[in-house]
Amino acid sequence: MEIQSNDERAFKQVYEEVFPILMRVVYHVTNNQDLAEEICQEAFIRFFDKGMEFATLDDAKYWLIRVSKNLAINQVKRKAREQGMVEKLKKMPANHSNTSDGSQVLMEKETRKLVQEAIDQLPEKFRLVIVMKEYTDMDYKQIAQVLHISESNVKVRVYRARKMLESILSQE
Amino acid sequence: MCVDDELLNTYLDDELQEPWRTQVQEHLGYCNACRQRLEQLRSLHQKLVDARLGDSEIKARQERVFAYFEKTRFPSTNKKMHIFRKKIQVKLVPALITSAAAFVVVFIGAFVLFGTNPQQGQEILPGVASPIDSAHIRQVTEVQKPSLDMFSLEQIVQHLDAMGYAVKLEVKAVTPLE
Ligand SMILES: [Zn+2]
Repeated sequence: MEIQSNDERAFKQVYEEVFPILMRVVYHVTNNQDLAEEICQEAFIRFFDKGMEFATLDDAKYWLIRVSKNLAINQVKRKAREQGMVEKLKKMPANHSNTSDGSQVLMEKETRKLVQEAIDQLPEKFRLVIVMKEYTDMDYKQIAQVLHISESNVKVRVYRARKMLESILSQE
Repeated sequence: MCVDDELLNTYLDDELQEPWRTQVQEHLGYCNACRQRLEQLRSLHQKLVDARLGDSEIKARQERVFAYFEKTRFPSTNKKMHIFRKKIQVKLVPALITSAAAFVVVFIGAFVLFGTNPQQGQEILPGVASPIDSAHIRQVTEVQKPSLDMFSLEQIVQHLDAMGYAVKLEVKAVTPLE
């Protein structure tokens, strides 16, 4: 089934299917929901306005992920430049431990936050790969296709990313 | 010899090819240390999955961004239904519905099947534009007058009926009207 990106019906179909995946990927890469929403919107604007043809829905999906991934990386870099690394470090709360009086829900929330902050600390190339691995249904091969890297590269980065996450999270 | 971490990760992701897959599986059958390590990796994976952005958080943003596209890229198609839905819903609430979540969808079969002539359309619909391309879709602009508020639901239905349109009213979550 061919997909014409500026055909209304095709666009809506792709949007329904891909927006949640895109939003999740971009959010976990940027650690900022508002920014992620903006980036997703921008990616879909480009998708529509370029009036491209895709052989399959997956191809459209890969294109969208690739574009928003690039937008996300640029944004993250800009943000880091603007804030300066000092600011960034200051923003990282040091008071993770005060959860003892929290309810179950609060603890779960706290865990989520810790995990996301750990992801946020990963170098970009590991962060991208692990986010795609854990937050989409893409396999190594598909991730490799989106990122234009080899499958064995994906494999190694997944492994290294998990190792880093383990060590970051065990310090908390 | 034990299974190294990279291989275990690949195994966990169900990406390990044969014959290594079977070999790892067999090894896990008798090696406690590797089984434990696999469990650790699995629980890390689960922690990450549990930290994913929630569906409800996504949905609100998905709708907001979609509204942007409706407004900027597809301004023509959905206006008519929106106007109908909004206005008729207001009329229906006191008359027909007790449910708070009442919601009306109007199917105007004849519009789709035959198209209309613009003059007739103008009488009941605010500012009907000319057919987009195939005379199958009619567009209603946001022009304020004349407004559907000037007519009761019965009047609208009667009028459509008199012009030969098949009008079917459905109330969501309530037995369909006949
Ligand atoms: Zn072993």
